Amino acid sequence: MENRDAILTIPDENGSLPPKAPNLSIGQWFRKNLFSTWVNGILTVLGTAAALLMLRGVLNFVFSENRQWDAVRTNARALMTLTYPESQYVRVWVAFGSVVVLAGLSAGIWADWGRLPARRLAGWFMGAAGFLAVCILVREPSVLMDLEGKTIRLPDGSLVRESFASAMTDRANWWAVVALLLIVGGVIWRSDSDKKQLKITQVTYLGIGLGVLSLWVAPYGHYAFTDGTYIADPNSTVAFSTKMPWTVMWIMLAIGFFAGRWLRTSSYLVLAKAGSNLLWLISPVTLYFVILRDPALDYSHVFSTDLPMGLAFGILGACFLWFLTRSDIGEIGRILATAMLGIAIFNWVAAFFGWYPMLQKARISFLLLAVAALLAPNFVGEAAKRRQLLLGWLGTMALVHYLATMINTPSTVELQSTEFLGGLGLTLFVAVFVVLLSFPLGVLLALGRTSKFPIFRILSTSYIEVIRGVPLISVLIFFSVMVPLFLPDGMELAELGAVLTGYTLFSAAYLAENVRGGLQSVTKGQYEAADAIGLTSAQRTGFIVLPQALRVSIPQLVGQVIATFKETSLLAIIGLFDFLRVANSVIPAQSEFMGVKREGILLVAVIYFFFNFVISKYSQRLERRVGLGER
Amino acid sequence: MSIDDATTAVSEKLAGREDMIVCVDVDKFYGDFQALKRVTATIKEGEVAVVCGPSGSGKSTWIRCINRLEVHQGGDIVVDGIELTNDLRNIERIRSEVGMVFQQFNLFPHLTVLDNITLAPIWVRKKPRAEAESMARALLERVGIPEQAEKFPGQLSGGQQQRVAIARSLAMEPRVMLFDEPTSALDPEMIKEVLDVMKELALSGMTMMVVTHEMGFAREVADRIMFMEGGEIVEVGTPEHFFTNPTEDRTKLFLSQIL
Ligand SMILES: Nc1ncnc2c1ncn2[C@@H]1O[C@H](COP(=O)(O)OP(=O)(O)OP(=O)(O)O)[C@@H](O)[C@H]1O
Ligand SMILES: [Mg+2]
Repeated sequence: MENRDAILTIPDENGSLPPKAPNLSIGQWFRKNLFSTWVNGILTVLGTAAALLMLRGVLNFVFSENRQWDAVRTNARALMTLTYPESQYVRVWVAFGSVVVLAGLSAGIWADWGRLPARRLAGWFMGAAGFLAVCILVREPSVLMDLEGKTIRLPDGSLVRESFASAMTDRANWWAVVALLLIVGGVIWRSDSDKKQLKITQVTYLGIGLGVLSLWVAPYGHYAFTDGTYIADPNSTVAFSTKMPWTVMWIMLAIGFFAGRWLRTSSYLVLAKAGSNLLWLISPVTLYFVILRDPALDYSHVFSTDLPMGLAFGILGACFLWFLTRSDIGEIGRILATAMLGIAIFNWVAAFFGWYPMLQKARISFLLLAVAALLAPNFVGEAAKRRQLLLGWLGTMALVHYLATMINTPSTVELQSTEFLGGLGLTLFVAVFVVLLSFPLGVLLALGRTSKFPIFRILSTSYIEVIRGVPLISVLIFFSVMVPLFLPDGMELAELGAVLTGYTLFSAAYLAENVRGGLQSVTKGQYEAADAIGLTSAQRTGFIVLPQALRVSIPQLVGQVIATFKETSLLAIIGLFDFLRVANSVIPAQSEFMGVKREGILLVAVIYFFFNFVISKYSQRLERRVGLGER
Repeated sequence: MSIDDATTAVSEKLAGREDMIVCVDVDKFYGDFQALKRVTATIKEGEVAVVCGPSGSGKSTWIRCINRLEVHQGGDIVVDGIELTNDLRNIERIRSEVGMVFQQFNLFPHLTVLDNITLAPIWVRKKPRAEAESMARALLERVGIPEQAEKFPGQLSGGQQQRVAIARSLAMEPRVMLFDEPTSALDPEMIKEVLDVMKELALSGMTMMVVTHEMGFAREVADRIMFMEGGEIVEVGTPEHFFTNPTEDRTKLFLSQIL
C-alpha cells in the first residue's frame, strides 16, 4: 500500500510536482469573484444591467428599420479605393496581393507562433454562441411593415412591433448560427481527450479560409455601382470580381507562408530575414508609385539621362568606397568622407538659393555617398567586408534611381481627381509610409538630442520642441501650401507629397521623444562596457544602446504608431479623400443615399478599431518575446 | 622565506620584463575634490598587482583612468608604450589592448553570451564570424561554462555572468586585464569560481591589475600589493611584506579592520 502512494506522488521528469491550481466550480467562481459581499453583488447586478442596456442600444441602432446598410454595401469599393478606375483595378489586387505574400512570408520566417490549447478555442466558440444568444434576446422586436414596406403606426403615432415570440421565431436563422457554434465548440471540446494544442497558424489560416469560402456559398448579396447604375441583389452571393480575388489572396497567403517556413529551415535564413525586411521597407513606395500609378516611361529620356546617371553614381561611388576601405587609408579616409559630406550639404544649400540646377536624385545620391563614406571605416580590412559595402551601395543606388525615375514620370491611370487613390487604401498607404520614414528620422533626432555635441543637441531640441508645440493640422496646412512651391506646376502628386513630408516630420518629433525615454534607461555601465571592449561610438550606439533603448520604448512607440494611423483622418482637411471622408461626405452626397452618414461612419470606426486592436495585441506579443533577454 | 627573499623572488620573476603600465604623478579632480594625488607606479609585463584600500580611496578612479573611462588632469599614463592623450586613435588602440572587468559585470542583456563575446572581435578586430565564434567557445570552455553559449545574460547566475564578462574581455586578446572589484557583487559561494578563473589567468602570464578586498587571493596570486588611501598610494610591497610587516600605520589599521 505504501508503495502505491509513493507511485502516485512521483515527480515528473523535471523533478518537480506541478502545483495544483485550485479547481473552482462555476458556482464557486461566481460567489468568490462577483458576489463575495453584498456591495459587490449589487455592483455586479447593476454593471450587468448597464452592459445589457448598452448592447441593446447598439443592436437597435444597427438593425433599426431606418438604417440603410445598402449605402455601405454598394460603396464598398469607394470606401477601399475611392475612384480608382474599374478598368485597371487589377493593379489594386496586385498591390494588395504583394503585401499579402510578404505578410505570409514574414509570418513564416519570423514568428514562432506557438500553440493554442484546443479547449481555449472551444471556449471561444461557446462564448461567441452565448454572446450571440444574448444579442438575439435583448434586441427589440422588429417594427411591423405594411405591404408597401411602410411602417404601421397606431393612431397616437407610435410604431407597431411584432410580439416577442414571433420575433424569436423570425430570428430562427440566427438561432441556427448559435446552435452551429455550440456544436462546433462542443465537438472540439469533446474530441480533445488528451489536452491537444493546435498550431495558431493553422487555426488562423483555416479561419480566414472559412471566411473566404463563405463568399462563394453564403447569400451576402451583390451590391454595386457599375457604370453609374445601381445594382442591389440581396439574395445572390457577392460579385465574382470580389470573391475570386479574395480567394487568390488566400492562396497567396499560403504560398508566402510556406515559402517562409521553408526558408526558416534552410541555410538562407539570415538572407531571407534581411530580404523580407528590405521588401517591407521598399514595398509601400514601389506598390504605390510603380504598381498603382503605372508611370508612362519615356525611354529616350531613360536611356539618355536616368540610366547613365544611375550607373555613374553607382560605379564611381563604388570605386570611391573601395578606395576608402583600403587597409592603409588612415587619416585620408576621414578627410575625404568629411569633404564628401561638405559637397553634399553644399548641393542642398545651392538648391535653396537656386545657384545651379541639379536633379534632385543627384543631390540625394551625393548625400548617400557621404553617409557611406562616413561608414566606410567599419568595413576596412578583408575583401569580403569591403564587398559587402560595395554591394550595399550598388543596391541602394539602383533602388534610389529607379524609384526617383518612377515618381517623376506621369501616371497612365486615368485620374478622376488630383489624387487617384482614396479611402482605406490611401489611409493605409499614408500611415505605413509615415511610420516607416519617421522612424529612422525620430531615432536620429533622439540621438541628436542626447548627443554630447552642443550643435546637434540644440538643433534637435529646438526642432522637436517647435514641432511638438504646433498642432498637426497646421503642419499639414503649412506643407500643403509650401510643398507645391518646390514642385513643377500642376504635378499630380503635390498634395500627397505635402502630406507625406509634413506628417513624417511631425511624427518624427514625437517618436524622438519616445526613443529618448528609452535612451535614458540605458545604464552608464553599458556605455562603459562598450567603450572598454573598444567599440567606436557609432558601433556602441548601433549595437548596444539603441537596441536596448528601442526595446524599452516599445509600448510608447506602438502608441505612436496607432496615433499616426488614427490621425490620418486629418488628411481630409487639406483636400485628400481618406477613409473617413468617403463615409462622411462622399456617400451622403450620392443621389441614392442622400444624407446617409451613420452607417458608413460606424463601419469606419469598427475598421479603425480592428486594425489598432491587432497592432496592440501584436505589440504585447513582441514585448513578451524581446523580454527574454531582460530576465 | 623572509621578506627580503620574497622581494628578491618577485624582482627575479619580473627582471628584464618590459614596463606595461607606467603612471607618473597622475592627478585627477572631480570639481574641486582631488580623487588622485600624484599617483606613481609601474606595472611590469606579466605582473599581478592587487590594489586595496578603504572605500572612497580612489582605487576605481585610478584603474578607470588607465583605459580612459575617466580622464586624468595631471601627470602621464603610458600603457604598453602608448601614451594616453586626447588623441582618439591612441584611446582606441589602448582600449583594444586593455580588457576591463566591472563589479556589476555590465554584460549586454539583449545579446546572447556568444554574441556578447564575439561582438568586439568581429567589429573591432575585424575577424571573420566563424573564427570569432570558435574562439568564443574556446574561451567559454576556459572559464568553465561552455554549455551557456546560447543563453542570455539574465538567465545566468552572477558568478557565471562575471566569467562571461572575463571571457568577453579576453576575446580581444588584451595585453593587460583590469579588474574593479570583480567579486564584490557576488554571493560567497560564487566568489571562488570567479577567483579560480582569475588565478588561472594569472598563471598563464597575463598582466593584471586587480582592485579587490579578497585578501586570500592577494596573498596567493599577487606579485605586489598596493595600498591606497585618500587618493594616494600609501604603501607598496610583496604579499609577505604587506601582511606580516607593513610599515605604515594606516596600512596596519586597514589590515586590522579587514582581516
Ligand atoms: N563621478 C564622480 N564625481 C564626483 N566625485 C566622484 C566621482 N566618482 C568618484 N568620486 C569621488 O572620488 C573618490 C574616489 O572614488 P572611487 O570610486 O575611486 O573610490 P574607491 O576606492 O573605488 O571606493 P570603493 O571601494 O567604495 O569602490 C570618492 O571620494 C568619490 O566620492
Ligand atoms: Mg570602487
